[in-house]
Amino acid sequence: MFALTKRNLLLYFRNHTGVFFSLLGAMISFVLYVIFLKETMISSWQQVPNSRQLLDFWLIGGTLSVTAITTTLSSLGQLVRDKERGVIKDFYLTDISRFKMKVSYMLSAAIIGFLMQLIMLAIMLGYFAATDNLVIPWSKTPAVLGLAFLSALLSVVINMLFVQFISRFDSLGTIESILGAASGFLVGTYIPIGGLPYFAQLLIKFTPGSYVAALYRQIFMNDPLTNAFHGQQGHFEKIMGVKIAWQHLLTGNQTIELLIAAFIIGMLVLLLTELIRSQKRNKVTDFE
Amino acid sequence: MIIQATGLTKAYQSKVAVNHIDLAVERGSLTALLGPNGAGKTTTMSMLTGLLTPTAGTIQMTSDTKISMVFQQSILDDQLTVKENIMIRSRFYQQAVHEIDALIEKVGLNDFINQKYSSLSGGQRRRVDIARALINQPDVLFLDEPTTGLDIQTRSAIWNLLHSLQHDTRLTIILTTHYLEEADNADEVYIIDHGKVIASGSAAKIKNDYATNRLTIITNDAQQLMKLIPERIPHTQDNQKVICLPADTQAALNLLEKYRQYIVTFDYQNGTIDDAFLKLTGREMR
Repeated sequence: MFALTKRNLLLYFRNHTGVFFSLLGAMISFVLYVIFLKETMISSWQQVPNSRQLLDFWLIGGTLSVTAITTTLSSLGQLVRDKERGVIKDFYLTDISRFKMKVSYMLSAAIIGFLMQLIMLAIMLGYFAATDNLVIPWSKTPAVLGLAFLSALLSVVINMLFVQFISRFDSLGTIESILGAASGFLVGTYIPIGGLPYFAQLLIKFTPGSYVAALYRQIFMNDPLTNAFHGQQGHFEKIMGVKIAWQHLLTGNQTIELLIAAFIIGMLVLLLTELIRSQKRNKVTDFE
Repeated sequence: MIIQATGLTKAYQSKVAVNHIDLAVERGSLTALLGPNGAGKTTTMSMLTGLLTPTAGTIQMTSDTKISMVFQQSILDDQLTVKENIMIRSRFYQQAVHEIDALIEKVGLNDFINQKYSSLSGGQRRRVDIARALINQPDVLFLDEPTTGLDIQTRSAIWNLLHSLQHDTRLTIILTTHYLEEADNADEVYIIDHGKVIASGSAAKIKNDYATNRLTIITNDAQQLMKLIPERIPHTQDNQKVICLPADTQAALNLLEKYRQYIVTFDYQNGTIDDAFLKLTGREMR
C-alpha cells in the first residue's frame, strides 16, 4: 500500500513544472488580495488597532484552506490519469485491495496537500514579515502543523468523493478550474462572510474549508484580537469568519469536532461505494 | 486444464463484442487468440483475467492460480527508471519473486536498468512490461498483442523469450495477435471474428482443415497429365502448368513420384494460416 503512495509522490515531485503550477494556483488568492483588496479592507477596519496585521492573518488562514483543497484535488489527478491510461487495471490484478488502493492515492495527495500548505505559509509569512512586520510566535507551530494535517486529510476525502467517479483527465481539468475559481469564495477568502447575502453565507457554512479557514484564523488571531478588542471580539469574528455562526458562534473545539466528524463520514461513504462496487463484480469460479 | 470458459458473452448496448465463446486452456500450453482488430480478442482476455464482468457464461480456473497480464498499451511510469518501476510494483504483491535481479537478468533488462522508461525503444519497453508481469511468478501469463508495432527482429526476440519461459517454468501463456504467421508458434489457436470462435485447434490442424496446399507442375504434356491425375485431387490447367491442390505433403509426394516422367519442374507451397483465414471469413485479414 505504501509502495503505491511512494510511487505517486515520486511522480508528483519529479514533475517540476507541475509542482510549480500547483503552487502558483494556490498563490492566486494571495496575490489578488495584495493587489486588489488589501487597502480597501484595511480602510474599513481602520479604527481597530493593528488592523493591517490582523487582515494579513485573516488572509493567510483563508489561503491555506484553499491551498489544501486545490493541491489535493490536482494530486488526486494521478488516479484519473491512471484510470485513463489503463494503469489502474494493472493494479487491479495485484494483491492490493481496491479500497487500499484508494487510500494510497489519498495518502499521497494528503502528504502533498500538507507540504503545500506549509510552503504557502512560509511564502506568505515571508512576504508579510517584510511588508507589515508580521510575526507568528513559535508556540503556535504544533497547532498549525496539526491543523494543516487535518485540513489536508479532510480536503482529500471530500475531493475523492467526486474524483472516484471521474475517469477522464479532461473532465478533471474542468472541475479543477471551476473549483479553483469558486473555492476562494466558498471558503470566504476574498470577501468576508458577514458582507454576503444569506444564501451565500449558507453555501459557505456548507463548505468544510471555511471551518478550516476559521480554525487557522483562530490560531493566528486569538491573542491579537483579544488585545485589540479587550475580549469583545465576537462581532468581528462573526463578520470575518474567524468563528462560524450556527445558533451561536462555534468554539474552536466544536469546529474541530465537526471537521473530524465530516472526515469520518466521508471515509465511510468512500468505503460504502467500494462495497457496492465489489458486489457488482463477479468472481471467476474454481474448478470443483 | 487450468482455465475453462463456457458460453462467454459480453454485450454492450449497441453491439455484442463477444458471442458465446468456449475456451479450454491446458497447463503449460501456449494459446493464441487470433483475429482482426475489433474481433473481440481483448474483451475475451479482459473477461478471463477478471477485469471485465461477462454478460453471460462461466469462467473456471484451478484454485490459487496466479495470473498476470501484459497490456497492449504501456502501463509503467515514464518518469521512473526501469528498476524503480519493477521494485515498486514488486511491493504490490504479498509474494513477489525473491530474486528480482535474476528476473531482470533472464528478461534481459540489465543494459537499460537505470534508464527512465520513457527513454526506451519499443522492444525494450515490451521486455520491461513482460518482466513486470513476471514479478508475482504467475501460473498463467496473458499478453494482449505483445508484438504489435515491433520490428521483425524484436518480434522474434520476444517470441524466443516467451518460448523459453514456457519451457523453463511450465508457464501457461495466452496471447492475442493479429499477425497470422505468429499463430504457428502456438499449441492451440482460436480464430476469432465478430466475437465468435470460427475455428480452433493446433495451427497444423487449422491449416489442414482450412488451408489449401498448392502443387504447381510445369510439364511437357499438360493435356495427358490432366487426364491422369485422379478426380479426388482438384487440378486445373494453365498453359504448360498444371495446378493441383493435394490434401497434404504425402499426397503431393505420391503425385510427383507417379507422374515423374511428365514433370519438367515443380513448386510446392504448404497452406498458410492466411489461406485458412481467407477461407473461413471470405476476406483477407489485413
